Amino acid sequence: MAAIDPVAYLRATPPFDALPEEVFTSAARSLEIAFFPAGNRLVRKGGEPLRHLYVIRKGAVRLERDGQTLQLLEEGETFGYTSLISHEASMDVVVEDDLLAYRLPQAQFELLLAQARFAGHFAGELAERLKSSLEQSQVATFRADLSVEVQQLVRRPPVRVPEATTVGEAARVMREQHISSVLVDSEPVGIVTDRDFRNRVLAEGLGPDTPVTRVFTRGLKTVAAEAPIYEAWTMLIDSGVHHLPVVKGKEIVGVVTANDLLKATAQGPVAVLRRVEKLAGRDQLPGYGARVTEMTSALLAGGLDATVIAGFVARLNDALVHRILRWAEEQLGAPPCRYAWIVSGSEGRMEQTLLTDQDNALIYEDAGKGSEAWFRALAERANDDLEAAGFPRCPGGYMAREWHGPIGEWTERFRGWVADHGPQPLMRAAIFVDYRKVSGTLDLASFEAAIQRAGKDRLFLASLAKAALDARPPASLLLRLKGESSEVNLKAHGITPIVHLARCYGLEVGTDRRNTLERLDAAVRAGLMGPDARELVGGAFRFLLGLRLRLQLRAVADGRPVSNLVPLAELSALERSRLKDSFRAIKDWQEKASYHYRTDLF
Amino acid sequence: MFFRSPPWESVAFWALDLETGGLDVRRDPILAVGMVPVREGVVRLGEAYQSLVRPPGAASIGEKSIRAHQLLWGEVREAPPAAEVLSQVDARLRQGALLVHQAGIDVAFLRRAYAAAGLAWPRPPVVDTVELILKAARKARFLNPENPELPSLNLAVARREAGLPEYQAHDALTDAVATAELFLVLRRKIAARTLRDLR
Repeated sequence: MAAIDPVAYLRATPPFDALPEEVFTSAARSLEIAFFPAGNRLVRKGGEPLRHLYVIRKGAVRLERDGQTLQLLEEGETFGYTSLISHEASMDVVVEDDLLAYRLPQAQFELLLAQARFAGHFAGELAERLKSSLEQSQVATFRADLSVEVQQLVRRPPVRVPEATTVGEAARVMREQHISSVLVDSEPVGIVTDRDFRNRVLAEGLGPDTPVTRVFTRGLKTVAAEAPIYEAWTMLIDSGVHHLPVVKGKEIVGVVTANDLLKATAQGPVAVLRRVEKLAGRDQLPGYGARVTEMTSALLAGGLDATVIAGFVARLNDALVHRILRWAEEQLGAPPCRYAWIVSGSEGRMEQTLLTDQDNALIYEDAGKGSEAWFRALAERANDDLEAAGFPRCPGGYMAREWHGPIGEWTERFRGWVADHGPQPLMRAAIFVDYRKVSGTLDLASFEAAIQRAGKDRLFLASLAKAALDARPPASLLLRLKGESSEVNLKAHGITPIVHLARCYGLEVGTDRRNTLERLDAAVRAGLMGPDARELVGGAFRFLLGLRLRLQLRAVADGRPVSNLVPLAELSALERSRLKDSFRAIKDWQEKASYHYRTDLF
Repeated sequence: MFFRSPPWESVAFWALDLETGGLDVRRDPILAVGMVPVREGVVRLGEAYQSLVRPPGAASIGEKSIRAHQLLWGEVREAPPAAEVLSQVDARLRQGALLVHQAGIDVAFLRRAYAAAGLAWPRPPVVDTVELILKAARKARFLNPENPELPSLNLAVARREAGLPEYQAHDALTDAVATAELFLVLRRKIAARTLRDLR
């Protein structure tokens, strides 16, 4: 008979979902259902501790200490474990909304603690919980760098057998070494793989005494050690082999398998990059955005962190910009002087996951003052091409067709914004502080110097910090993720507060990194931020970016418009709980920052 | 003579739901029984009891009810006979009170089955959640005469109004659990302290 509803519900609720079937079934036999009306105090600090682990099915409870609400727990969340583990009541638990709870007696809970994943769920504090959610989705072997060379995938020197070896001996060597192929020392060198044993030995009715030379392959396809990974990938696809010897000069230094490559490259970005490099003309631009979305989706499904995916997207967009600018130059003739194409905002920080509004600008040498028309034409073409590729125009108008000029003027303009402190100039300064040069030969050192100087301006920093602290998680969301606020704006309430504050810290410590996580790291190195806070805030940022990306991809798949709003009903209990943890981490950080920047004095 | 009624937490309430071959007490057989106890004010899922019941050979299961319960003839044919299931039910009913939603129907079916099996009905105190809904409504009207709203007596609707989760399945045990939970909410609503307050 199918599990009755309460049991099925419990099974789907973390950490019960991690239990082996028999263990869960046995525990579920002790399951109880309890109802407590609102206002009921289940436990009092210092009083009798709770004797059960509770899972909220309906309603909510408030955790209090000395009359201060610490946390509000809702559907799908658990409580009681601090009582059960410490055998004392360290806080009050008060029923906020009529509570229907499923509960397990202490003895059962203690039995379940023998299960590592179950126990792990309760073991950690806030940071641990955030961290473990991220670690589950991490592919540790992944490299975000597209230019990785094949030799970096070689884990060991190749294993060789003499030419006179039998199939049986070769198989034993492979078993001992845990490998799926061996090289045969013949002239030229050959290879025999576990597939050969299946297809050419067993399927042909041959025995273990068969000479290996009867079934091996010679005339090997090899790949140069210095070749980028995507070349090896293409070779494997084109030749249909699964093992690729890697050569340095004439020496075989190792064998990479299709599996190694799959793990290391996540063919997605490689494939899209090749397509960008092969784009023949602007009529091929439409569809770029869709391809990036597909890739993003595949990488996310593959368990890659959203911040890492954003790194790929940025590299691909950069390659596209290069391509587009080359076309424009071909049409307009050689540039009259050196220039730089910069991107700002999330593109500048390399935090864009799906294509969003264009944020770009064009800076050229002061010597090019008379050639404004040429640069305007370049910008217009590039903006149009980017739009064709799937980057909508920026509604605020931060596009190179409006924002172009000689570097001297640029720098002056930026200084003016910094000195002004008004809301509009402040916002502009913030946008361009996040700039990144994507293409062009112009050196931007003087512009960079102006940004570094801005970081020494206390008043500018404080204004920026004040604006950053205005974007805060709404107080109601810190406790409740239900009721009136059935939607959360992940960007306004979560991502933006982190990005803005990280920018303040980054400026203050004078780092040239623009990425939010790298700014946080720089703040830690400079002693402005503790490693614990970095862990919490960074974890929250990665979680929020990942959650937003997942929801946006779902919207894309359903043909709905992409937005930053999340209906809370669409989140799992675990996600809701992580969301609250994230908001709490942001709030704590903001409190420290408001003290640091003395924004209370404004 | 005046007997003090026991405090409600001290009573074992066995929530019970039946699935039957139809609504005709005289003719239609019991096909399934689900029971779960409320002890010390808590539903003990681990003690839940459920069984299909093999109907007497001649009895046929009405088409409608087969669809409602998704029970098939093949399933109940292998089930233990009514007498065997009733002895299990009986052992539980003798521990305390019987808790049902719409006592009129289920108690009538049970008593008839008891009689057919030659068993004596143990006459447990019966608590009916439908009665409790009406009690709670009377109390609400007493507190606020302006509120003429008629309560809903349907189990699923009453649960929704009580803020309880919606259960998809409607097998006998799920409905017994559903009744037990509704009982806990209503008990609180009418502020019943003793078994007598609940009857």
